[in-house]
Amino acid sequence: MLFGKGPREAASPSRDLRIDVIRGLILLVIFVNHMPGNIVSSVMPHNYGFSDAADVFVLLAGVSAAFAYGRLIDQRGLLVGSLKVGARIWTLYIAHLALFVLVCGIVATAVVRTQNALYVEAINIQPFFSDTQAAIVNALGLVYQPFYLDILPLYIVLLALFPLIYVTARTSPLAALLASFAIWQGATHAGLNLPNHPGEGGWFFNPFAWQMLFTLGVVIGRFGLVGASLPKLRLLDVAAVGVLLFAAMVKLSSGNPFGITLLNDWIDSLQIGIDKTNLAWPRVAHLAALTWLALRFVKPNARILSGLAGQRLAALGRHSLEVFCAGIVLAIAGQIILAETSFTLWVQLLVTLGGITILLGLGTFLSWYKTLTARAASAPREQAATA
Amino acid sequence: MPALAGPKPLAQMADGRCRAGAAQHPFKPSLAASKRILTETNRLSIIALGSSSTAGTGASDPDRSYPAVLEAELRRRLPGREIKVTNLGVGGQSAYEMYLRLDNEVIPEKPSLVIWQTAVNDAIRDIGEEKLAKILRKGAHKLQEAGIDLVLMDMPWLQREGRYPKYDDYRAVLAKAAVESGVPIFPRYGMMKSWSGSKQFSQEEIVGMDGLQVVEAGYRCFGIRLADGILAELGEGAGPGKPTN
Repeated sequence: MLFGKGPREAASPSRDLRIDVIRGLILLVIFVNHMPGNIVSSVMPHNYGFSDAADVFVLLAGVSAAFAYGRLIDQRGLLVGSLKVGARIWTLYIAHLALFVLVCGIVATAVVRTQNALYVEAINIQPFFSDTQAAIVNALGLVYQPFYLDILPLYIVLLALFPLIYVTARTSPLAALLASFAIWQGATHAGLNLPNHPGEGGWFFNPFAWQMLFTLGVVIGRFGLVGASLPKLRLLDVAAVGVLLFAAMVKLSSGNPFGITLLNDWIDSLQIGIDKTNLAWPRVAHLAALTWLALRFVKPNARILSGLAGQRLAALGRHSLEVFCAGIVLAIAGQIILAETSFTLWVQLLVTLGGITILLGLGTFLSWYKTLTARAASAPREQAATA
Repeated sequence: MPALAGPKPLAQMADGRCRAGAAQHPFKPSLAASKRILTETNRLSIIALGSSSTAGTGASDPDRSYPAVLEAELRRRLPGREIKVTNLGVGGQSAYEMYLRLDNEVIPEKPSLVIWQTAVNDAIRDIGEEKLAKILRKGAHKLQEAGIDLVLMDMPWLQREGRYPKYDDYRAVLAKAAVESGVPIFPRYGMMKSWSGSKQFSQEEIVGMDGLQVVEAGYRCFGIRLADGILAELGEGAGPGKPTN
């Protein structure tokens, strides 16, 4: 089975533990990677593969949106489902704006206190200081995005498209994928993107490209909802493992590990970076391989998911919006602490471990708080979706 | 050289200080393509690719970014020539992001010269020295293939460099990539460092306190020194102090 335990049970509102646990893990990886130059980030997954935490995050967003809002659309109709999606978008928007203000405040304080103007550069927040009025207006319109504040706007746009994507995927998963594929490739070649002011740049996560991963997630989620089973394709297993091994070899070696001169240029271009803005296809291939193997070999009832670590991570994953926002704030504060202490090793480890502990604590607290309030209202177990 | 006739804008009077440490930090680029194109077409078209210090962050007006100063200075000293300096600076951009822009935004414009200011964001994010070297080499190669001259701008001098322990290593990567690719470096780091020790600039003018990396005085001097080096190589143009009419 792709997700859950068959049609009957999949239709009941049970969560797939894999989504929560993986998402919890991804949130921690994102936190660590948002403090560049710290030693822990040099062992994070992006060092071994073409895709990274963001790709997984967006794919999972699609899967869980299908589970939460897709199911609602199936049960209560498109209007009710879309209204619920709209309410969620509003929450995301408010969270994004609050995060924006918090980050500007933290950086402004840091720059005044430390007189290191590079903190401004490090998250591209200059426009806020040089032309505050325009920056605020643009931030409200999501067309000014400092670094790290570019993921929530993407998610807002993707969620707004969700009803359309879901209804298409329900009618024909293939049509949804083909259309999404065409938009991704078409936009990449035509240079289509939403604007990011000031300047001529576009969104760091080009929604025309990244909708592809989201749609892929929605389709996977849709298969999960109807309890489709995953075919056992040994050949595909081998191919997926091959892709992961190839990526790891390319990323871990400094030159061309295969010794085929013809590949030199291509290997070189993979090593210097794989375009994230327009979602270069090696990222997609790598993520597809990862996804296939995860679906094939990590069963929803795998023991590792329900162990202690799994439980803590799942608690994180279930409150991903709160944890994500807290992670951004902690990571930016962490960046500043690391630079002020000249990246002393023990401080790096302390800041990283401290941040992870706080985030895990937050996840656990929010889970506890939710059961508490649910019990107080003596309401049935709440199944609100998390982003 | 003092002005011989006519009033001189105040800014130009202060430009002398820009050349204060020029002997220790020379900028003598070789610009074969620009030279040839200028002779053949009467045109000099320059693209300034970079992050915030190219975009002009912190300047009171877009006209005070270094590319704008460079354009005005070249036009002033090369009367009758068609001069264009395009500013492609985007705050916070990494070397790789700029590398990706070469194909779409830089090469199709067919400039004679690209001034590439980069690597500071890669240094503070510690993207990997080998990776940066590769990006710079590939970028330089791409421009050379297209018959475009390239100048790499050195990273800025920082007041407390110790915050980023690998900062100097990354500067060395930039320097090495430039030598290997036969690309001249514009010695921004050295210039800023010598200004910081001189009395000619206030601390605020070099490293802004309120979110400004390099402020107007610095931008102006980069523009002036770039113009000096480019004109010296092209072998023409009025001397720096001569007024135009």
